[in-house]
Amino acid sequence: MGVQVYFHATLRKWVQDQEWVEVTGNTVGQCFNQLVQQYPGLKEKLFDKKGKIHNLVEIYVNQESAYPDELAKVVKDGDKIQVTLLLSGG
Amino acid sequence: MLNQQERERYDRQIMIEAIGEKGQEKLQQAKVLIAGVGGLGSPIAIYLAAAGIGFLRIVDQDVVDRSNLNRQVLHWEEDLQRPKVVSAVEKLKKLNPNIAVEALRQTITADNIADLASGMDAIVDAMDNLPIRYLLNRQAIRNNIPFFHGAVRGFEGRAMTVVPGKSACLRCMYRGDIPKEKFPVIGTAPAVIGSIQATEVIKYLVGIETLLTNRLLVYDGLNMSFTEFKINKNPDCDHCGHLK
Repeated sequence: MGVQVYFHATLRKWVQDQEWVEVTGNTVGQCFNQLVQQYPGLKEKLFDKKGKIHNLVEIYVNQESAYPDELAKVVKDGDKIQVTLLLSGG
Repeated sequence: MLNQQERERYDRQIMIEAIGEKGQEKLQQAKVLIAGVGGLGSPIAIYLAAAGIGFLRIVDQDVVDRSNLNRQVLHWEEDLQRPKVVSAVEKLKKLNPNIAVEALRQTITADNIADLASGMDAIVDAMDNLPIRYLLNRQAIRNNIPFFHGAVRGFEGRAMTVVPGKSACLRCMYRGDIPKEKFPVIGTAPAVIGSIQATEVIKYLVGIETLLTNRLLVYDGLNMSFTEFKINKNPDCDHCGHLK
């Protein structure tokens, strides 16, 4: 059993239209490294050129905000990471 | 004190135990700033006016555009090219002549936000961009008044209530700005989120403490689901970190 990463609908096309992908890792960052190796197109959707998470991207672990040090957030088998997108319209 | 006409007008909500006549009097005495009177601001202003909030200050710089009419329900075809605040005040006064509505056609900036929020008991976020939301969030913290956040896109939306010193603020969860866009939206999304924000304002003003604090409520109209995310107060937050 690994860590399940759930994607906002608009990101799913970068992971072959899957709602979630299972990966392994001890931190959100490790899980994301594995994800972008598996799905290279996802990299620029999550990170800027300096490797910083885009402002638009929000990360929750087990429905709790991982901000501000998202990539360092510790995870374990069975955890769920939710990747969603910030909204600013009114 | 409520007069007989007001008792009749608000009868159905006075019947709610958590409101009652005392709660209604609190609403009557309250002053609320609504920042923006577009997609979110329309339902927020309508329901706060109908509920009898005594004083609404509505601020918006824009004029009504035809492309607003799918969601900004305070503005109608006859209002095209009119200032939104003028259009809004007309409707709100007709809806409830017993309240005061102040219309300010201004862009909210770092220079005027203190004046705009002066004397207010709450600030409601009905903006369409993050930089002004941050200004509102910071001013609410400075004034020690609640801030009611809402945002929408497409069929989606989200809401969170900020009570300074007690709960996480908008800045505890967001890192910066995002590119401005012409965002897609169906009118029912701001209707849902604006109604939630208005509900939170009313609850706060009458003293109901079960607010949407430290919880981001995310609405997905396509799947017709609500999800709640826990938001933690960030001790290093540059807006509210100094409040222990």
